[in-house]
Amino acid sequence: MKIDVNKLKEIVGEDNVRDNIADLYVYSSDASVHSSKPDAVVRPGSVKEVQEIMRYANKNKIPVIPRGAGSGMSGQTVPLSGGIVLDMKHMDKIIEIRPEDVLCKVESGVINDELNRVLQPYDFFFPPTPSSGRICTIGGMVGTNASGVRSVKYGATRDAVIGMKVVLANGDLVTLGSNTKVDSSGYQLAKLMVGSEGTLGIVVEATLQISPLPKYRSMGVANFLALEDAGRMISKTIATGITPSMLELMDNVAITAVNNAQNLGLPDVAAIVIFECNGMLKEAVEYDMGRIKKICKKNNGTGIRVSDDPDEMTRIYEGRKKLFPSLSKYREGLFTTALADDMAVPMSKIADTVHEIHEIAKRNNVVMSAYGHCGAGLIHTKILMDTNKKSQWEDAKRAVKEVYSYVHKVGGTTSGEHGIGFSKGPAFKQEKKDSLGMMKAIKKALDPNNILNPHKLMDSPDDWLTATPLRYQVNT
Amino acid sequence: MTIKAKTKIKSKYLKKYEKEMNMCIRCAYCFEKCPVIKETQWDTDGARGKIILSYGVLHGEIEHSQYVADKLFQCTFCRDCMERCPSNVSILDIISSARADLVDAGYASDTHKHVIDNIKSTGNIYGDTEVISPEREGKTPLFIGCQYLSRPNKTKKYIKILEKLDINPQVQKEICCGFPMEALGFRKEFKTHKEKFQKTFPFKEAITFCPTCTVFLREGHEIDAKHVLQVILEKLPKADLGMKVTYHDPCDFSRGLKIIDEPRKILEKLGVEIIEMKNSKEQSNCCGGGGGILMSDQSLSDSIAKNRIKEAIETGVDIVVTSCPTCETVLKKAATEINESEGTNMVVRNIEDIIWKGLK
Repeated sequence: MKIDVNKLKEIVGEDNVRDNIADLYVYSSDASVHSSKPDAVVRPGSVKEVQEIMRYANKNKIPVIPRGAGSGMSGQTVPLSGGIVLDMKHMDKIIEIRPEDVLCKVESGVINDELNRVLQPYDFFFPPTPSSGRICTIGGMVGTNASGVRSVKYGATRDAVIGMKVVLANGDLVTLGSNTKVDSSGYQLAKLMVGSEGTLGIVVEATLQISPLPKYRSMGVANFLALEDAGRMISKTIATGITPSMLELMDNVAITAVNNAQNLGLPDVAAIVIFECNGMLKEAVEYDMGRIKKICKKNNGTGIRVSDDPDEMTRIYEGRKKLFPSLSKYREGLFTTALADDMAVPMSKIADTVHEIHEIAKRNNVVMSAYGHCGAGLIHTKILMDTNKKSQWEDAKRAVKEVYSYVHKVGGTTSGEHGIGFSKGPAFKQEKKDSLGMMKAIKKALDPNNILNPHKLMDSPDDWLTATPLRYQVNT
Repeated sequence: MTIKAKTKIKSKYLKKYEKEMNMCIRCAYCFEKCPVIKETQWDTDGARGKIILSYGVLHGEIEHSQYVADKLFQCTFCRDCMERCPSNVSILDIISSARADLVDAGYASDTHKHVIDNIKSTGNIYGDTEVISPEREGKTPLFIGCQYLSRPNKTKKYIKILEKLDINPQVQKEICCGFPMEALGFRKEFKTHKEKFQKTFPFKEAITFCPTCTVFLREGHEIDAKHVLQVILEKLPKADLGMKVTYHDPCDFSRGLKIIDEPRKILEKLGVEIIEMKNSKEQSNCCGGGGGILMSDQSLSDSIAKNRIKEAIETGVDIVVTSCPTCETVLKKAATEINESEGTNMVVRNIEDIIWKGLK
C-alpha cells in the first residue's frame, strides 16, 4: 500500500496534509500505552472532503483512522497497520441550536466544553461530562460512548445522541436516527455508531439532546472505615430512587496518594464518598441530600459534611480533583499507565471489586488505586509501575487479566466509558464471545475492505502488550 | 520493535528529564489554551507534541532534524500548559532542554544566534553599543533589562516615577540577565554569561522593570527580585484619570509570578476602569511574543498577537494596557495592522505611561 500524498493534498489542500516523520511520530500515539505510525495525517474541512478521502482510501484499500484530540486511553487512534489518520479538529462548526426542540447539531470536531460555553446563554448544557471535556471532541465522545462524573444522573453519550451524519467506507453519506427523543423506526443505527470507535464510518455530524442547566447544586462527603460500608451506601442511594448528579468513591490508595503529594490531610479511612445533587428547586435538592446523609449514617459513614457554598464545595472536591496529579507522584520511579482503567460492575459488587483490585495489585507487584463514578457502577483504576522494566509490563499484563476475569465473573463489563481500542481487546473478546460473530458481520457489511480503523474491538490482536511497540522505553 | 533513527542525539540536557517525560500521560489537556496549537491546530505543535518529539529524539526513535528543531522552537513560553497539566510535568524545562540539545547538535536559527552574539559582544540583546545605564546612587538595586535600556525615555520615566514616590533606586552598569540564552538553548554560553552577570550585578535583591527579567533573576540567578509595580502600588497616591481600558496580563506575570491584582489595583487607584477581556488574569491569552518565537516565526507570532487584539476590541474599549515591553511591542504592531484593515482604533499603552499621567 503506497499512499499518494499529492492526491490527498488535491482533496484537502497542501496545508492540511502532513507526512513528515516527526508529525507521524506524534500521531503514532494517544493517551494509551501503544505506539504505531500512520503514513499520513490529513485534516478534512468539509463533509465533501471526508467523502473524497474515503473514496480514495477504499479504492486503494488504505486504512483510515479518525482522530479527535487523541486523548483516548485504549489505543483507538493508534494506527496498527499504518494508513491515514483523519484529524477531525477542523470540522468544528456548531451547526444549529434548537432550544425549543431541546437539541443541537454539531460537527464532530467541536470541543465538548466549547459546546457548553455556547449553550450556556440558552440555559442549556450537553450533559456527558468527561474530565477531558476541555479538549475532547464530540466525535471522540461518540466514538467511545464517553461519559463522566455526571453519568449517574444523565447517562453516557449514547443516551444523548439521537441522530448523525456518517460517511461510510465507500464515501457515501448517510443520515441516521432522527430529531426526536423516541424513535421506533427500525434499527437504531445512530446508537450503533456510538461506541463503534470509527470502525463503521466517519461521524461528521451529530444531533445531540441537550438538558436545561440546573439552578441549584449541593455537595457532600462521607468517610467510611470499611469498603463494604461505602459500597453499600452507594448501592442503597441509587436503589432508594435518589438521582444524585455525582456519586464518587476514592479508595485508601487514592487517599494516601493525595495526602502524600498534596498534604491535604484527608482522613486515613478505607474510602471517601463524595455526592452531589442538582436541580431546579433548592428544596428538592436539599431533600435528596438529606436522604443521602441518612443513608451514609445508616451505613456507618462518619465526618459527613454537606454544603451549597461554592468555596466549601470546592474544598470537598479538592481531594478528588487532585487525585490524578497525586497518583503521578505516588512513589519515585512509578508511572501512571492507562491499563484496566474503566471497568463497570453491578452496584452491589463495587466494594468487593475494589477490594479484589487491591489484592490483584499486591499479588502482581504493581500499585493500583480505585476511584470513580461508582454511582454508575464505574470504577477507574490506574496501574502504577516502573515503565522502564520489562518485568513490570509482564506484571501489569497478569494484573490486567486478573482484574477483567474478576469483573466478568461478577457480571461487570470491560469498559464503562473509555472504550476498547485494542488495549482491552483480549478482555473484550472474552466478555463478548457470544456476539463477536454478529459484530464481525456488521463490520464486514459496512466496511468490506476493512479500511475503517482496522484491528480494533472484535478484530484487536490477542496480546495487547506485543501488538505494537510500547510508547515507553523498556529495558530488557 | 521500534525502528531507531540512524543518528541519536547526544543529550547533555534532556536526559535529565527522561522520567519527567514518562510522567506525561498524553491526556492533551495542554491543548486547551495553547496559543500555538490554537493557531495551527496540529497535534505536533502543542506541549504534548513537543514532549513526544523530545522523547523520540532522546531515545533515537526519530532523527533530530531542522523540522524537529523548528517545532520545538514554536513555543511562546506562556506557561498555560503547565497550569493545565494534571501530572504537573515540568514542560518548560523539557522544552528548553530539548532546545539546548538541538542547539548543541547544530540547529540554532540564525536570528537566535544573532541575538546571542549580540549579548556576548555588547551585553544587550540588540547589540547596541550606545545602550547606557542611567547610573545613579540609591538604596535598592534596580535591574532595568535590555528592552527598557534600549528605550531611554521609558526608562527615565519609570525612574522619575520611582523618585516621585520616594523610592530611591540604585542604578549601575548592567548586562542582559541571560534569559534568551537559557530559553533559546544556548546553555554553554549562559554558563559563561552567568559568571559575568553576577560580577556586574552582585546583589541578593533587586527591583525590576521587565516581567521576564523578574522571573529569570529569581529562577536563573537566585536574586530576590521584586517587580517595580509591586513597589509602586504601596506608595502610589490616588488620582482620577477617568479612563476606561482593558488590561492584558503578561504571561510571566499572570502565570509566572502570579502578579495579577497589583496592576489592576494601580489602575483602580488612578481612577482607571478596567473592562476585562474574555480571557484574563490566570486565564489570560498570550500576546505571542515570548519564547523566541518573535524572532524565529514572525508570522505565527503576529497571528497570536492579532487574536489577542481582537479579544481586546470585543470589550468595547479602545485602549489596552499592559506591563511588559515585549507584549507592548507585539500588540502595538498587531493593533496597527488590525486598525488599518478593520477600521478600529485600538491603542496599546504600557502601564508606566498611565502611572506617569496619574502622577503629573
